[in-house]
Amino acid sequence: MSKQSALKQSSAHDVHEVEDIETHEEPNLKGTFAAVMFIGVFIVVSWIGVYALYMYR
Amino acid sequence: MLKNKIPKPESKIAMAHMYVAFIALLVGGLMGLLQTFVRSGEFTLPFGIGYYQILTVHGVVLGLVLTTFFIIGFQYALMSKSVGMSKGHRKWAWIGYIVTLAGTIMAATMILLGEANVLYTFYAPLQAHPLYYIGLALFVVGTWIACFINFNQLYQWKKQDPGEKSPLMAFMVVINMLIWFISTLGVASTVLFQFIPWSLGMVDEINVLVSRTLFWYFGHPLVYFWLLPAYMAWYTIIPKIIGGKIFSDGLARLAFLLFLLFSIPVGFHHQLTEPGIDPFWKYIQVILTFMVAIPSLLTAFSMFASFEMAGRAKGHKGLFKWFKGLPWKDVRFLAPFIGMVAFIPGGAGGLINASNQLNGVIHNTIWVTGHFHLTVATTVMLTFFGLSYWLIPHLKGRTLTPKLNKLGLIQTWVWTIGMSIMSGSMHIQGLLGAPRRSAFSTYGGSEQAQEWVGYQIAQAVGGSILFIGIILMVYIFFKLSFGTPKGDQEFPVAEYADVNERTPMVFENWKLWIGIAAVLILFAYTIPFIDIIQNSPPGSPGFQFPIGRG
Repeated sequence: MSKQSALKQSSAHDVHEVEDIETHEEPNLKGTFAAVMFIGVFIVVSWIGVYALYMYR
Repeated sequence: MLKNKIPKPESKIAMAHMYVAFIALLVGGLMGLLQTFVRSGEFTLPFGIGYYQILTVHGVVLGLVLTTFFIIGFQYALMSKSVGMSKGHRKWAWIGYIVTLAGTIMAATMILLGEANVLYTFYAPLQAHPLYYIGLALFVVGTWIACFINFNQLYQWKKQDPGEKSPLMAFMVVINMLIWFISTLGVASTVLFQFIPWSLGMVDEINVLVSRTLFWYFGHPLVYFWLLPAYMAWYTIIPKIIGGKIFSDGLARLAFLLFLLFSIPVGFHHQLTEPGIDPFWKYIQVILTFMVAIPSLLTAFSMFASFEMAGRAKGHKGLFKWFKGLPWKDVRFLAPFIGMVAFIPGGAGGLINASNQLNGVIHNTIWVTGHFHLTVATTVMLTFFGLSYWLIPHLKGRTLTPKLNKLGLIQTWVWTIGMSIMSGSMHIQGLLGAPRRSAFSTYGGSEQAQEWVGYQIAQAVGGSILFIGIILMVYIFFKLSFGTPKGDQEFPVAEYADVNERTPMVFENWKLWIGIAAVLILFAYTIPFIDIIQNSPPGSPGFQFPIGRG
């Protein structure tokens, strides 16, 4: 079997098959929004905490 | 027979890498346990073994050997699954494996003989045996072979399907290997042109700042080389395990492209206290470091969106009730999920480390050690463990049993508890000024050092729990490899949520993205590097004592 045909056969694995969805509703991502806001606040609070330590010292 | 199973010859290549990775986990983990004992002040190493010897084994074996072998093996599996692997690729993959392993054995032997107690950063002027550096060079060359195999796998696939969007898994692997190849050019340069001639006595002195700058040109992208395979799993595999979908193909590709652009020209944020580098260029690289946080934030959004959509599809309502819809009793999900959670404090800590003034608070303290035990030893490792529960049986033609899944859940919690105690105490100690890279000392009975004692003991308690976690994981690995029933374990590959989403084809323009990455690297490094070379102090002779080779 040639290299090309071996590759072709091997690449037949189907990856990321997609479903045929007709509708286009916007998903409800309120929880996602709240969660990423939490991460943002966590980063800011941590940063300010160590900055305060820097200023204090 | 399971549809689309990875062919046996390709499975063997991936598994060969996994055996090395899990043996490294056991050896390196034991060294970590011993370190925490020494730092507690209650234990002395037997047989004249030095603290810096075990510290070097721990760093090299876990930070380089375990990670690199697991990543290359996992990436071969992803490439086999998505674009295929030819006979020629397989032949070269074995050659690359042997070269990488030969380099590993050479460097590891030198460390075990006490001839390379230079830690995994091998800062000059600490000088190791020449074979240590030659081993490192071989290791890097071996990984380059893996890079070019992966590049060629996608190239061959594209040649057969011109105009087609490349599979997401293959796209991500190629980005990670590009980051690895471009960044290892730095460490290969310093090893080949500085350390090897210097350790062989061909030159008397080494330019310390040039060597450290070339090391960190590699050292930070290395962190992303560890992290991106975890992200590959989060984007392309975890949604399938939770019964959900990939939120967006375009967003995933954009995040990876941003990593290619911004993960490399940022090494100066490890050198903020380094004299000899113009503060302006440190400032530029700090800004670029903050840019590299963006793709991680995109990833956090994408993960939450996948989870929320999956939970809501199962009928869970409310702001956060969809969390209940996640498969908490499936270790293939739980372990990577805790890894994701750990990246919240891990990422926040990274932004603190990269901020100039804040870096002054934590620089060279054990806070930094606590930080990377959250990022690489929790986020990355728990994801790799989570992958192993299905990948190893898939490659070996076996299945994950409910009993082993349960043991995996226990392992995950053991790891989480141990790491919370150990990394948490390291963070606090660091803020109290305790140094990293040092054995136990009372520092002449200083009052400040007294404050660290309780946390150092907590560190040993956490380390002991973690070692139990390592023993469990190594047992699970060998059980999955040889002891579970024969069968077909699914290789989970997620589908897209929106089939009509059109990913911009410009994302596939490799010349463009590699070109921009090169421009950013040249912009961030050219002027300061010329400045470093032109204004360097005299070079340093090698120091083999007290910890280089003794």
